[in-house]
Order: sequence, then structure tokens, then C-alpha cells
Amino acid sequence: MLANLFVPRYEKKEAVKDISFSIEQGEMVGFIGPNGAGKSTTIKMLAGILFPESGEITVGGFVPYRQRKSYVGSIGVVFGQKSQLQWDLPVIDSFELLRAIYRVPETVYRKNLERYTEMLDMGGFINQPVRQLSLGQRMRADIVAALLHSPKIVFFDEPTIGVDVVGKETIRSFIRELNEQDNVTMLFTTHDMQDIEKTCDRLIIIDEGRKVYDGTLPGIRERYGTTRQLDVEFSVPEQIEPIEQVEIIDLDHNKKRFVFESHSVAINDLMNRLLSRYSVRDMNISEPEIESIIRKIYNGEVA
Amino acid sequence: MKLSPYYAYAKKCFLGRSAYRFDHLMNILSTCLQIFIFWGIYRALYGVNTEVDGITLPMVTTNFVISMGLGAVFCTNDYFLPDKIRDGSISTELLRPISFPGRMIAENAGNALFNLIFRFAPALIAAVLTVGMSAPAGPAMLVLFLLSALLGYGVLWAISFAVQMTAFWLVNIWSILTIKNVFVNVLSGSMIPLWFMPDWMAGVLRFTPFSSIYFTPVQIYLGQLSYPEIAEKCAVQLVWIVLIYLAGDMLWRKGQRKLVVQGG
Repeated sequence: MLANLFVPRYEKKEAVKDISFSIEQGEMVGFIGPNGAGKSTTIKMLAGILFPESGEITVGGFVPYRQRKSYVGSIGVVFGQKSQLQWDLPVIDSFELLRAIYRVPETVYRKNLERYTEMLDMGGFINQPVRQLSLGQRMRADIVAALLHSPKIVFFDEPTIGVDVVGKETIRSFIRELNEQDNVTMLFTTHDMQDIEKTCDRLIIIDEGRKVYDGTLPGIRERYGTTRQLDVEFSVPEQIEPIEQVEIIDLDHNKKRFVFESHSVAINDLMNRLLSRYSVRDMNISEPEIESIIRKIYNGEVA
Repeated sequence: MKLSPYYAYAKKCFLGRSAYRFDHLMNILSTCLQIFIFWGIYRALYGVNTEVDGITLPMVTTNFVISMGLGAVFCTNDYFLPDKIRDGSISTELLRPISFPGRMIAENAGNALFNLIFRFAPALIAAVLTVGMSAPAGPAMLVLFLLSALLGYGVLWAISFAVQMTAFWLVNIWSILTIKNVFVNVLSGSMIPLWFMPDWMAGVLRFTPFSSIYFTPVQIYLGQLSYPEIAEKCAVQLVWIVLIYLAGDMLWRKGQRKLVVQGG
């Protein structure tokens, strides 16, 4: 331990290893992965804050880390965990400062401010100091702060973290509207799958610095969500004979769950078999939730 | 109206300072106290002598009133960048489409202007009324003094700027800043006037930027320098500003590549 003070040992950790993707104008892409997967690092490289050791990045015709000053004026970034507002000042003062920093023309500024505060319902606290705001209010103010200069590309790094259900819904619909009306390109990281399901058309999943999935949301079900479960309630306690490639789990005394892969077991055959041999009262088939698929991907249970 | 971002930062900083009234009252008091303490010490040291090595008590008094006064004005925020690196807010700063060094100067200028009006001016008035400092050596010298004081500020700021950049590698730079401040306080002549330094020391100091900060303006104020000497000393100040700033700017460029954003 003490030796470390004199002869420090360094261990090099690669946060992001080999991620390649391209995003078209107007796309809305969810960018997810477990904690420490390299999401924030990737966003920070895309935003021109961090320098990549190797590889290439081009955003909107700029190389972010080389042309930082001219580049960052054309993007907006929301870090859910770091506010860019002035802690001691009223929200509106921070906005005014940002107007000067980004040299936003007065008319554009007025128009944006009016529109966004309306959409995010911020009229009530725009004159309050930031330190007095609730987390949800602060997040909304932070989102507006990142958009006052009308960027065409916006990065959202966990914009719903710590926000309640209603607040989350407001933020989601705001983001969706902005994407649809203004054709703003967006990259969106979050740990809440509902955010993704309700806003994004495309999903990129990374883990341990590598990309593991890139495609549509329904696509992920097709690829990984082939497991089906059939819950059956019987009229009387039944002894079920083992069925090939189907896992049988006892739920209640009269209820059983049949878990199988949709490509190896035909659902019709299974249901017919059950109906003909046992006294079935009720049946219910369900697809896996996106959330549980993602969990499996994070846990490395699916390839 | 298009507002320059740098002006906006300077203004924000100026207004932000006025929020803490008690703090700046105490700051005025502390500057006055410093001046009185040093005056007391030097008055005791001079005793019955009217001059030592050709330097009179009013000259010494003038030296520390001006250098401490300017010190209170210049008061660079040495933790500006280190704090931002430590808590990770540097990432927000880098998202701004403006020059970061420019932003640092703007904030500091806003601060300095505040200090000039609300700290230096009251302390100066108190000093003029009580401790008996010399008058400037004439209107021309007063103007040149102001110019040189501005350059002195540039030197001090550049030193702080360059030292702060080491935070990219070291993160915690309290110790380095402390050493820097000792050098600035002692070697700039603000505590012990450089007239009293031994010759060998004065010789060494000529090759450092420290005497450019306060001592050059003081010498001009007292009329100790001829016009060619003033031109030379101001040129030296300018050279130091450029050299140190360029060194700091190089560290800034390299530092960005080394940047680790703390806290996710």
C-alpha cells in the first residue's frame, strides 16, 4: 500500500474499444448499456470534450475534438447528472448568459424561450434561483438551456434520471415533438427502457466498450426475444408429463407456466396437446418484455 | 443587441460578487489591517532614521500600500480550472463555443473591476488619510503607472493561468499554488521592498517575472525611473506576459488530450 506512494502503478482501462455507427439526420437513437459500458465516454467524445486515442469521429461535418470551438455551437448537450445552470441565479439569468455565449439573435431567443417554456410548462419557476428547484424542474430547465441556440444535433445523457413518472412523460413527449417538428437528430442515453420505447426508433446497445446491438426496437424482439411463455390454469390439480424442449414451472397449485423457444416448439401443437389431455380453464401467452431482454443482454445470457 | 460572451461573463462575475456584502466589508477591513500592520512594522524598524540606503519611510509605505492594494485588486482565482477538473464541470465549460482562456480572463476582469472599486479604493483612501504615503511623481508618471500596473496584472494572471493548467495532470494542485503564492508575495517586493534585497538576490530576480508584477509600477509611481527605463521595464513586462501565456496555452492544449472527466 505504502509502496504505491513511491512507485505508483498504473493500470490502463479502455472505456470504449471499438464502436462504429452512423446516424442519419433526423434520426432518434437510443444509446443504452449497463453502468460503465462506455456510454458517457462515447457521448463526451461525440461532444468534443474528450479526445479519442484512435479512430475517427465526424458529426455534422465537424471533427469534434479538433474543431471544438466552432463545432459545439451547432450541437446541444444535456447531462442529466450535471447542471449547466448557474446555481445561485434565477433560471432566466442563466438563459440570458447562454444567449450571449452562443450569440443567439434576440428574435430567435425569444421565440425558442417562449415555445420551450410553454411545452415544458416552466412558467411557474423561471424566475426562481436554480438551487430552489426540484430535480424535475431543474432537468426541464437544463433541457431548455441546451436548446436555446436551436441546435440541429442534440445529445441527451440520462435526461430523465431521478425524475418522477409525470415529469418523465413530459420530457419524453417534448423530445418526441422536437424530433418530429424540427427534424432534430438525437442520441439519447438512459437506463429507463420506457424512455426508449416511447421515443426512439433505433437502439444501439453497448457493453464493455463494444457495440452489441444496433437496430430497431421490434428487431431486438425478433433477434433475442424468441422465448415465449404460456401460463395455463387447470380446473383440477394435474400431473403434467414432460414435454420435449419445454420447461414447466409450477406457479400456484392449479397454475403452470410453460417456457419455450418459438422457433423450436410450435405453439399450436403445444396448446392442442394441453387442451386434449388436461382440463384447461384459462390460457395466456406472453412475449418477453424489452426490459428482460435487455437484462439478458447485459448479463451476457444471449449471444 | 448582440452581447459579447466574454463581456457577459465579466458582468455576471461582477454582479455575483456584490451578492455577498458582508464578505466584501470584511475584505476591505483585511486589506486595511494588512497595510496598518506593515506600516507599524516598518515604522518601528526605521525608528529615528529618516532614511535607509536612500529609501525613506514614505517610499516604503507607498510600496506596500500600492502592491498590497493591487494585490487585492488582482486576486486571481487560482482554483478556477482545478475546481472544474475536480468536480467534472469542465465538461460543461468545453461545450461552450468560446475560448476557455478568454473566459478565464473575462471572469477575472469582472472580479478585478469589482475589487478595484470596492476593495482598493476604500483601502487607498484609508491609507492616504492615515499612514502618509508619497504622492505620484507627476501626472505623466501616474498615467504610466496605471499602464504598467495593468501589465503587472497581465503577468500575475499569466502565472496563475499557466500554474492552473497543471491540474490536468495532477488534479490536486494546492501545494503548487501555495509555493507559487509564496514566490509571488516574497519575490515581487510586496512584503519586503526589492530595494532592500542583497545585490546577488536582486541580480537573480531580474531574470524572473516577479518584480514585473508590483515593483515596476511602484518605481514608476515614485518617479525612480527615467523614460527609457520605463519603456524597457514595460517591454519586459510584455515579454513575460507573452512567454508565460504561451507556456500556459501549450499546457492547455496538451491538457485537453489528457482530460479525465471526473464523476461519470
